[in-house]
Amino acid sequence: MSADRLATAAPESDRDLLPIASRRETTLAAWRLSRRHGGPLLGAVVSFVVVGLCALVPPWMLGRIVDTVGAGGTSVTREAVAIAVAAVLGGIFTVLSVAFVARAGEPALAELREEVLDKALHLDSARLEAAGTGDVLSRVGDDARTVAEALGEIVPMLVNSVVLVVFTAGGLFALDWRLGLAGLVAAPFYVLGLRWYLPRSGPYYARERVAQGERAEALVGGLRGAATLRAFGHQDRQLAVIEQRSARARDLTVDVFHLLTRFFGRSNRAELIGLASVLGTGFWLVRSDAATVGAVTAAALYFHRLFNPINALLFIFDSLQSTGASLARLVGVTLLPDRPVPGAPSGLDRPGPLGLSGVGHEYVPGRPVLEPTTLTLLPGERVALVGATGAGKTTLGAIAAGVLTPTRGSVTLAGHPFASLGTRAVRSRIVLVSQDFHVFAGTVRDAVTLAAPDATDAEVEDALRTVLASGWVRTLPDGLDTRIGDGGHTLTPAQAQQLALARVVLADPWFVVLDEATAEAGSAGARDLERAASAVTAGRGALVVAHRLSQAETADRILVMREGRVIEEGSHDELLALGGRYAELWSAWAG
Amino acid sequence: MAGSLLLLTCWQLCETLVPVFIGLVIDRAVATSALDLLLWWGLGLAALFTVLSFSYRFGARLGYGVVQREMHRLRMEIAAHSLHPRGARSGLLPGETLSLATSDTTNVGFALRSLGYTASAVGSLALSAWVLLRIDVVLGLVVLLGAPLVLVLIQVLTPVVALRTRHHQASAALATGIATDLVRGLRVLKGIGAEDVAAERYRGHSRHARLAGIRSAESFGGMLGLTSTTGGLFLALVALLAGRLAVEGEITIGELVVVVGLTQYLAEPLEVLGSISAQVAQAHASARRIVEHLATPPLVAAGPTDPAGPATVELDGLRGEHLPPLTLRSAPGELLGLAVEDPAAAGELVRLLAEGSSAVRLAGSPLDDLSTTARHRLLVVAPHQVDLFEGTLRSNVDPLDALGPDRLVELLDASAAADVVALVPDGLEQHVTPDGAAYSGGQRQRIALARALAADAPVLVLHDPTTAVDSVTEQRIASGIRAARHAPGSDRTTWVLTSAPALLAQADRVVLVRADGTVVEGSHHELAADPVYRELVLR
Repeated sequence: MSADRLATAAPESDRDLLPIASRRETTLAAWRLSRRHGGPLLGAVVSFVVVGLCALVPPWMLGRIVDTVGAGGTSVTREAVAIAVAAVLGGIFTVLSVAFVARAGEPALAELREEVLDKALHLDSARLEAAGTGDVLSRVGDDARTVAEALGEIVPMLVNSVVLVVFTAGGLFALDWRLGLAGLVAAPFYVLGLRWYLPRSGPYYARERVAQGERAEALVGGLRGAATLRAFGHQDRQLAVIEQRSARARDLTVDVFHLLTRFFGRSNRAELIGLASVLGTGFWLVRSDAATVGAVTAAALYFHRLFNPINALLFIFDSLQSTGASLARLVGVTLLPDRPVPGAPSGLDRPGPLGLSGVGHEYVPGRPVLEPTTLTLLPGERVALVGATGAGKTTLGAIAAGVLTPTRGSVTLAGHPFASLGTRAVRSRIVLVSQDFHVFAGTVRDAVTLAAPDATDAEVEDALRTVLASGWVRTLPDGLDTRIGDGGHTLTPAQAQQLALARVVLADPWFVVLDEATAEAGSAGARDLERAASAVTAGRGALVVAHRLSQAETADRILVMREGRVIEEGSHDELLALGGRYAELWSAWAG
Repeated sequence: MAGSLLLLTCWQLCETLVPVFIGLVIDRAVATSALDLLLWWGLGLAALFTVLSFSYRFGARLGYGVVQREMHRLRMEIAAHSLHPRGARSGLLPGETLSLATSDTTNVGFALRSLGYTASAVGSLALSAWVLLRIDVVLGLVVLLGAPLVLVLIQVLTPVVALRTRHHQASAALATGIATDLVRGLRVLKGIGAEDVAAERYRGHSRHARLAGIRSAESFGGMLGLTSTTGGLFLALVALLAGRLAVEGEITIGELVVVVGLTQYLAEPLEVLGSISAQVAQAHASARRIVEHLATPPLVAAGPTDPAGPATVELDGLRGEHLPPLTLRSAPGELLGLAVEDPAAAGELVRLLAEGSSAVRLAGSPLDDLSTTARHRLLVVAPHQVDLFEGTLRSNVDPLDALGPDRLVELLDASAAADVVALVPDGLEQHVTPDGAAYSGGQRQRIALARALAADAPVLVLHDPTTAVDSVTEQRIASGIRAARHAPGSDRTTWVLTSAPALLAQADRVVLVRADGTVVEGSHHELAADPVYRELVLR
């Protein structure tokens, strides 16, 4: 559906993206996820604390060795052993901490991405198409990947660095509070660096991501259309677009890196100031006999040890900007309201009529594509919709199938308005097969059982026989287990549509809407597909949109549409006798 | 790159010298309480930091720029190979080639980048060993021999980590691929009410990826733990040795502090070298995939010939797996209808015309002898599968901006694409999204037909151009094709493979290729008596 509509709605100019969570909502969602996986998270924090403590042992012991030697001591074995023990203990808890982080983070991320996809799949079609499928794809794909990478790298780095900084700084203060204060002199310089960098890099990262997306778009566009580009010799133009976008992404990446190196320069400055301050203070303390040389050594080494975790933390601030943006995009989708699922009303146990009363639709206010139309489809009745492109057939079909909510009028099933039935109840009774065929990656069985996951192989084979597909499915390398779709066995469009029709057989709905379901099959394949379509509609109500008029010929009733209105209605013979638009279409068709 | 290596090595050496300087300051100034020495060494420290900071800044920038330029170049090479005028028989899906041009290229780039860091890490290890050797030969030797030993020990786990990481990446990519696939097929899912089943299927893949993620993290954690333990034990050993030497008076306290500081710092280059080897393994696999892709042979045959004669098309016993031997000749100016009973044979015929064969002669020369330019000048085989490109309707019809406004209007009318243009608010300037998904099958076919007509090739082959178009429009298109390419006196040749009566009725001659291999020709009306033709074409 909506093919015609998007063309008229200028989708690119005012695309209505899916919501992006605010910072508060994102933090809240992250907090909730952390709580749900509190056990392993706590384990991770405890392990990191132990790791941090173990990391403090070497500088402390080294300081003691210096003191021992200075005081004319004779043995440093104990200190060396302590370092060795801390190394082993630290190693063990490092292993534990990483494992705990993964056990908290991976499930949390998996839940998040599953929820995002679930919400996206249940979105109202109109809402999704207003946002563009690209919006959803980039969230489930790129954004989930960004967060996953962050989880694998940033989280351990963050916890590790925080623990190291806290404990090392604590150790510094415990050693001598005056030396601790001296080290603190560096803090404002780090803050200054951050305040210089973050506001500058944020917008850069946003632009870089957009540029990379554009580059991927151009690459995929060229790769998908390679055959066409080759046929017309238009490769150079596409390559120029790719070149230009790749260069733009490259330049932005290089620019933002320049910024990053200047930021690192600022943190070097803070390091130098802090180190000089510790050494200078140590100098005065030793001179006035207020501290030992060993203590100053340990303090300087502690401070030197702070360089890496502090730099890691600064770097994390940087990564958080881009990860946070991705997380907000994921959380935004999960915050969409659930569609209410009303309890199935009684009286839906036997087929009743499908009634459209006064339904009309405008995708863009003021540009109606369907004028108010009333139509009742009885169980078992076969109605054909014919007319030129843009006549409103697809829109009417989508409304009848409950995939599109009309802007005017109402639709009822067995007397119950769609709204009161809920999506699931409607979809299980009315099925739409459109010309947009898609071969889902998976096995043939997976493809057919999409609408009936519990179907047995015998039922699947029956359905395939009904749509005249059992012959070619049998000749596939692994029969029902043959992998099809991207990366698998390639099906012809006609075969793909046969599988779509087999799905209808298994779903066994009261009504089926076939919207040009046989259109893309190519010349000769269309015959088999038409037979399959007739087999599928047998015994149920059917609304068939077709430009292949052989499908209209056999219908109980034919509606001819033009510019959003039904202009003729009757049987094939009646309409031919009428000598109107249908008769004209028929004579052109019959050739 | 050389400049970058030099500067980064300089930077890493400065980093190594920081603990040495700390030791020296303590030894020379703090321990002796000499204020002037403190000031001098303080200035030295400042100078060290200045050199350190600037050598990193410019070394890293230089290296990063080189790597990014190389990645861009590699990406363009991959794109140019895939979009080569003669095509590439790579058998990869667009998504796979995309990942070659993005993530694999990035892997290679990172490995290139880590070259600089490898050099600097080795440099700083060497400097440390040298400093230690000068203080004490045994200590120096311990570091010189011990460091490589530690590295080898860490490597024990590298293959496991690499294997699990690959498995994790593969399963995560699969989950993303499944999600992409489901969202792309969302219209179908909604039509059939299969959203829940689809979400459940994704959940299965997502859980699998989650498990692989945990296992990969565990092995990675094991490697981190091993690295830090061996590093720590190494430090304990050096501390013990140095402490003993100091106790025995072999080295001064200041020297002890330097040794201790250096040894502590040694863990860092060791870790860098450890992680780089895992990266290099990954990059190696990526580089191999890229090289394999770039080595795939062309799809389309080509030779040196650029014939000058009229664009006569001759098939001389052209045959394929499904296509029976076909011999026919089409003089310039002819509108030829081809009705092929077996759709597989029709597809094959189009493919052979597009990819070249010695059994096809164009302007007197075998098609696979023609140069790429000559072929493009003479022949356009428009694929049945319509590809729309990001841009505008105009750029899709006339990408090279070669048509005058009048001719464009003429061709839009001929292909009935004018209806499509009239339906959108911005007309020809209407934006087309990347895959043109907003347009229905019939609209896409008409835009593609306008594009085929706009190419104005001496020989044009159309394959089922109107399968998604209603019958009245189809009739308009049939006369449109004749008007656009076969006005009296025109020397354009058009072959239309179709079973649409409206199109065949316009043809000067129709060739029927039956599934049993026999071939008949005549006009549309003459062939109407043939039962196979009636079954195939008349409805």
